[in-house]
Amino acid sequence: MVLRQIDLTNFRLHRKTTINFSDGINYIIGGNGQGKTTILEAIYYLCTTKNINAAADSDVVSFGQEMFEASGDFNELSKDHTKIVFDLSRNKKFYYLNEKAVNSSASVIGRFPIVVLIQSDHAITLGGPSDRRKFVDTVISQASQTYLRLLIDYNKTLKQRTNLLLQIRETGNNRLLEQLNAWSESLVNAGTEIIKHRKNFVNEFNIYIKEAYNRIMTDKEEPEILYESSVNTETQTIEENFKSALLNERDNEIRRAVNLVGPHRDEFIFKINGLELRRFGSQGQHKTFQVSLRFGEFFYLKEKLGKTPIFLMDDIFGELDIYRASKISEYLPKVGQTFITMTDLTKLDDLNKKENRLVIIIEQGKASYA
Amino acid sequence: MIIAEPLQIAIDELSKLPSIGKKTAQRLALHLLKSDKQTVEALVKSLVELKEKITFCRNCFNISTDELCDICKSAKRDRTMICVVEEASDIIAIEKTNEYNGLYHVLGGVLNPLANVTADKLKINELLPRIEKEGTKEIILALNPDAEGDTTALFIARLLKSYHVKVTRIARGLPIGGDLEFADEATIGRAFLGRIIVQ
Repeated sequence: MVLRQIDLTNFRLHRKTTINFSDGINYIIGGNGQGKTTILEAIYYLCTTKNINAAADSDVVSFGQEMFEASGDFNELSKDHTKIVFDLSRNKKFYYLNEKAVNSSASVIGRFPIVVLIQSDHAITLGGPSDRRKFVDTVISQASQTYLRLLIDYNKTLKQRTNLLLQIRETGNNRLLEQLNAWSESLVNAGTEIIKHRKNFVNEFNIYIKEAYNRIMTDKEEPEILYESSVNTETQTIEENFKSALLNERDNEIRRAVNLVGPHRDEFIFKINGLELRRFGSQGQHKTFQVSLRFGEFFYLKEKLGKTPIFLMDDIFGELDIYRASKISEYLPKVGQTFITMTDLTKLDDLNKKENRLVIIIEQGKASYA
Repeated sequence: MIIAEPLQIAIDELSKLPSIGKKTAQRLALHLLKSDKQTVEALVKSLVELKEKITFCRNCFNISTDELCDICKSAKRDRTMICVVEEASDIIAIEKTNEYNGLYHVLGGVLNPLANVTADKLKINELLPRIEKEGTKEIILALNPDAEGDTTALFIARLLKSYHVKVTRIARGLPIGGDLEFADEATIGRAFLGRIIVQ
């Protein structure tokens, strides 16, 4: 899938910008605060209807203006014209696909698959378990609507169950325990399927992460992802294990009014050569792992969806040594259409030049081609 | 803008109805204003009678004009089966199919601790004595396939374990007449998880 062109109106610094893209690598060059990451933000909006950094839509409207508009032309087998408009006074967002209004973002997600490598990816390897679960959940959800539905059901059950635990603790009403058992059973039903999906995913994804990591670091470093569930997933009896774990924790759960067992407490452990990355990894290993996760996601989604995602990379070369940076740029032509922001044009000279690429210079919200 | 007070009151009352917004309420009120008096009186009378004459069946809690609803009174219904539903509107949906000839039981909701609905707020306890009294052989749980509906079904199934009665759940899966290729992924995915043995 290829994004041919975008038009931005009153989109942050971009009062009126039109850019035509290459179907290979697009380098977006500009100093700080010139509006280069804004281009990535706009592309992300068109692919997902959402903000790339979960910022408020109203922040994106140019200062003193009433609405922003971004539109883009995608090309795959057919042409798709997409447009997103945000109206500040009504605080409302409108998305159009081929001039027809689309009401739910769910029907857009997956249609224009996208993979992003941004600053906040630090959290995936350096942050807590919930950051890693979020990464895994978004990747699987993009490939499987069934998984997304299961997650929604599971999270709803968690909320209901917390509330019931609270009521049991407050009232000490033993008649509510029978109802707790029913909610536990619902939790086990959806939770078991989630665990199975995650287990399969980790098995498959390890191949992708190894491939990506070894392309960036040729020396013998072996990355690995381990799945550590609060439920024993080793045997064929996940459901039984889940049930008995719940039974063991029941008094604790009531005392604390918290759901203590289930996939919402799962952890994914990242390792390099058998050592836990979070505890023993160097800065460079963390960065390489983060980059590999996104490359892995890219090839995983490409395989699962049968569509080539668009790849966005925000200022990744700034933090990498020249060896890793050149390895990544060698890898890039294998990907497809890519958008990379950089502050410095001279860095580009060190990188691979001969491939199909376009250099776009952004200055004060205006674009020009180098 | 100043609106005549009776008109404003009518608009406010109408907009309290479900799925009626301010604009629609205004259109309805103006339409009624333009209609002749008999039409409006007929509407008002039907609404008042709805409230006065309709009660809930004391056996199954369906909408009824008598103490017992037409389904519970009917001699033609199969009294060995009870279909458990969330609301009376679900009975209308099932009756339209002409595929079910048993009795019903309306719960008046589903378990939903967040909205403070626990089992004692539903007509679950009223279901149990019916089994012995009516000689029920099968209970069919026809609740919505979401977290709350599923949990309510599981809860009732647990309660019924000590009774000599068959407990079933309606199937979930693909819509009839729909092509597999056009169904949404979540439905197909769930249909696969709930697949059944044919041989």
